[in-house]
Amino acid sequence: MVESKGVTRRQFLKYAGATAALLGLSETLIPEIARALEEAVAGKPPVIWIQGQNCTGCSISFLNTNYPMVAEIVLDKLSVRYQPNVMAAAGEVAQKAIEDTAKEMNGKYVLVVEGPVPTKEEGRFCTFGLEEKTISFNGFQRREDKPMIAWMEELVPGAAAVIALGNCASFGGIPAANASVTGTTPVHEIVKDIAKDKPVINIGGCPPHPDWFVGTVLDYLINKRVPELDEHNRPKVFFGRLIHENCERRASFDAGLFLEDWNDNNPDMKLCLFKLGCKGPVTYADCPTRRWNSGVNWCVGANAPCHGCAEPTFYKNLSPLYEPLPEVHFAGLTPMVDTLGWIGAAATAAGIGAHYLYKQLGKKESEGGES
Amino acid sequence: MAQLISIDPVTRIEGHLRIDVEVENGAVKDAWSSGTMFRGIEMLLKEKHPWDAQQVVERICGVCPLVHGTAASYNLDDALGVNLPDNARIIRNLCLGANFIQSHILHFYHLAALDYVDVAAVAQYSGSNPTLQALKGKVAGLVKMGDVYPFLPRYESDDYVSDPELATVLVSHYVQALEMRKKAQEMLSIFYGRMPSFVGTVPGGVTVQPTVSNIAAFRARLSELRAWIDSVYIQDILTVAGVAAYAPFLSAGDSGGNYLAYGGFDQDSQGKEKFLPRGVITDGDVMNVKPFDEAKITESVKYSWYKEDCEGLNPKEGKTDPDLEKEGAYSFLKAPRYDGKPMEVGPLARMLVMKPPMLMDLATKLGLLKALKFGILPRHAARAVECKILADEMDKWLDELKVGEPIWDSKAKDIPNEAYGRGLVEGPRGALGHWIHIQNKVIGNYQCVVPTTWNAAPRDKNGERGPIETALLGLPVPDPENPINVVRCVRSFDPCLACAIHVIHPEHNGVKEFRVV
Repeated sequence: MVESKGVTRRQFLKYAGATAALLGLSETLIPEIARALEEAVAGKPPVIWIQGQNCTGCSISFLNTNYPMVAEIVLDKLSVRYQPNVMAAAGEVAQKAIEDTAKEMNGKYVLVVEGPVPTKEEGRFCTFGLEEKTISFNGFQRREDKPMIAWMEELVPGAAAVIALGNCASFGGIPAANASVTGTTPVHEIVKDIAKDKPVINIGGCPPHPDWFVGTVLDYLINKRVPELDEHNRPKVFFGRLIHENCERRASFDAGLFLEDWNDNNPDMKLCLFKLGCKGPVTYADCPTRRWNSGVNWCVGANAPCHGCAEPTFYKNLSPLYEPLPEVHFAGLTPMVDTLGWIGAAATAAGIGAHYLYKQLGKKESEGGES
Repeated sequence: MAQLISIDPVTRIEGHLRIDVEVENGAVKDAWSSGTMFRGIEMLLKEKHPWDAQQVVERICGVCPLVHGTAASYNLDDALGVNLPDNARIIRNLCLGANFIQSHILHFYHLAALDYVDVAAVAQYSGSNPTLQALKGKVAGLVKMGDVYPFLPRYESDDYVSDPELATVLVSHYVQALEMRKKAQEMLSIFYGRMPSFVGTVPGGVTVQPTVSNIAAFRARLSELRAWIDSVYIQDILTVAGVAAYAPFLSAGDSGGNYLAYGGFDQDSQGKEKFLPRGVITDGDVMNVKPFDEAKITESVKYSWYKEDCEGLNPKEGKTDPDLEKEGAYSFLKAPRYDGKPMEVGPLARMLVMKPPMLMDLATKLGLLKALKFGILPRHAARAVECKILADEMDKWLDELKVGEPIWDSKAKDIPNEAYGRGLVEGPRGALGHWIHIQNKVIGNYQCVVPTTWNAAPRDKNGERGPIETALLGLPVPDPENPINVVRCVRSFDPCLACAIHVIHPEHNGVKEFRVV
């Protein structure tokens, strides 16, 4: 199967290795991942990726994926039936691609939703595609706009799983600040009303790191089930740790060395951003170790505070962004999260080969080290 | 007999756009452009700390966050009376330039090229290049499995480039371009931390000091991109423009001859000299570039889902009050006008104002200067030329960075009780303006007028069409089931709807006033 698609065994193992790295797993798991992926790609799971009140930042971030690269994911791993920024089709041809997939792949497709869903005014604040019903328009009968909420009602029941991609889809995010006008609603709340038990995975982040999304999808392909989630329905493997605890500048924080003027002539001295408003102490994400844009940098690495963009409270409740966090949020958090964060993340790392993980966990604990 | 064709979704753009065309005798007789998503981000900024602005507004759009963050930084600098250090100005130019490169490559290869290249033809490749053979193997495998999503289905047309040799080379460049645009994002994140949603520009300057090593890391990626732009991107544009079947698209898709550029990439601390110059062209008179006057901008809402009292105001005083029941309205976009005229903005407008020799040579060669009509292909060509001259110039800007010199003016920390600011910049998609009014040390009013609002605007109060609507007139639509030329034309503008529909006027739109009844 693998060879028939022009991929050599060697390439495939290399790819499985990259997947292990992506999910933070041991290299000893490579053969196992390779086997699981081989089975998974035998039938490419269909994906319908729709957009609500979005800004397309999640899609653009997805394009920055490295392991595997975007062309591999889109062509080899998934059958991307509808993704408005990438697909060739437009108009009725594109709409038909959704409708056909929903019909032919009922119960099998993954529904990715980027951006939240506006519910006021019958959903007219966000529409795409056309309804059957028409209205008169400059002497013609013009098919009406089809609201995002109508698409959700149509597509959620037949989805194997729903992925809410990005902070807006997961928690309301930026557009939720105007919810009184448009009725902006996070995806999980919409899904709950349509199909109560349908699993929803929230991939937070504004934007989400490409690995958080790709890793979750690969995990789903391999294990055919939803990964272990935290209380916000985020995969624990990516959102289990506090930025502050893993920050490369943590030593500066402990030593009380803070950046307050960007002209401080010490480009090599990694001063803590706390006094410039860093939200790392209240933000759960693996940015310090994963880093962004092929590992080139991350927010704190650019002498800029973490703005907490992966948190459900972003942006409204984390403003002002450049003012230090109030002590009340901060006090007493440190030691508790240190312990819980690490155990939570390791024990749930995508659920691949659980016994390997327990072994690793034991090893790590005896070393008392970081992952 | 005339018929109405509705295209929704228009894919391979940013955001939610619907296009309706009236087709008679195989050609477009009339056209309507409708933006179909509204968020109202404006509510968010009211009474917030002014420093939050650039972090919030860059989230207006995930494709062009850089230009919003940059405009916001200049806007805040203006309001706070900042004296911007040269290093900060140059780093902002370099990062904005990196985003131009990213955006232009993404646009041509990933958003537009599938309108011209037959991906399925790759399965017929018979050459011996091992890379292209591998690509053939992959496509042939997909075709065999009967699952070529997301490249099929598509609008069918008999004028796709279907020569297997040429199609395979172009599709291989599509794949290469994925990596190239990613590299441009990496280049940007050296100074700005990450993309999208970057953090490296703040009021008063930037956050990363230039060092020998970060300059070298930036230059290494820039050099690779410059070589690729010269040897691949520019060449592919010439190849597609040279396809005989596409000759009509040199002039077809002309938007009416009005072009506006705010200018961008300040070359001095006062912003007097700009690498991309400021100017206005009207009625196709491209040799006569007129000075720009901000006071001539007004916004019409006659055909927009906003209340009538929002009509005809300068953006500074504008209002945004949704009215979904309004008779005749068909878009969430307003219709901005300059001196009463619709204006095309973006790379074509900028290049016509600037007239770099490379573009003029090309225009002469293609016979564009005689007809003075600039259609679908010149829009793509202008984008590629701009990408090249900007990338080349960025290499010189790197030399101007001074290690150890300031990057930030601490005056930005002093928030006045009241102040006005303005930031006018150019983004990949065109002229962008941000305005701020600080009151009681917090944001009283923040607003933007955005490139796609100009280009994808609906009709104005005089019934005059927006630039995209005008550009569609007369385009051939031989098969109503497959209106490929309509989407070719719309995509040549690189529309970004999330940007276009957000318009920000919190001063007039407190929560109570804003409620839709």
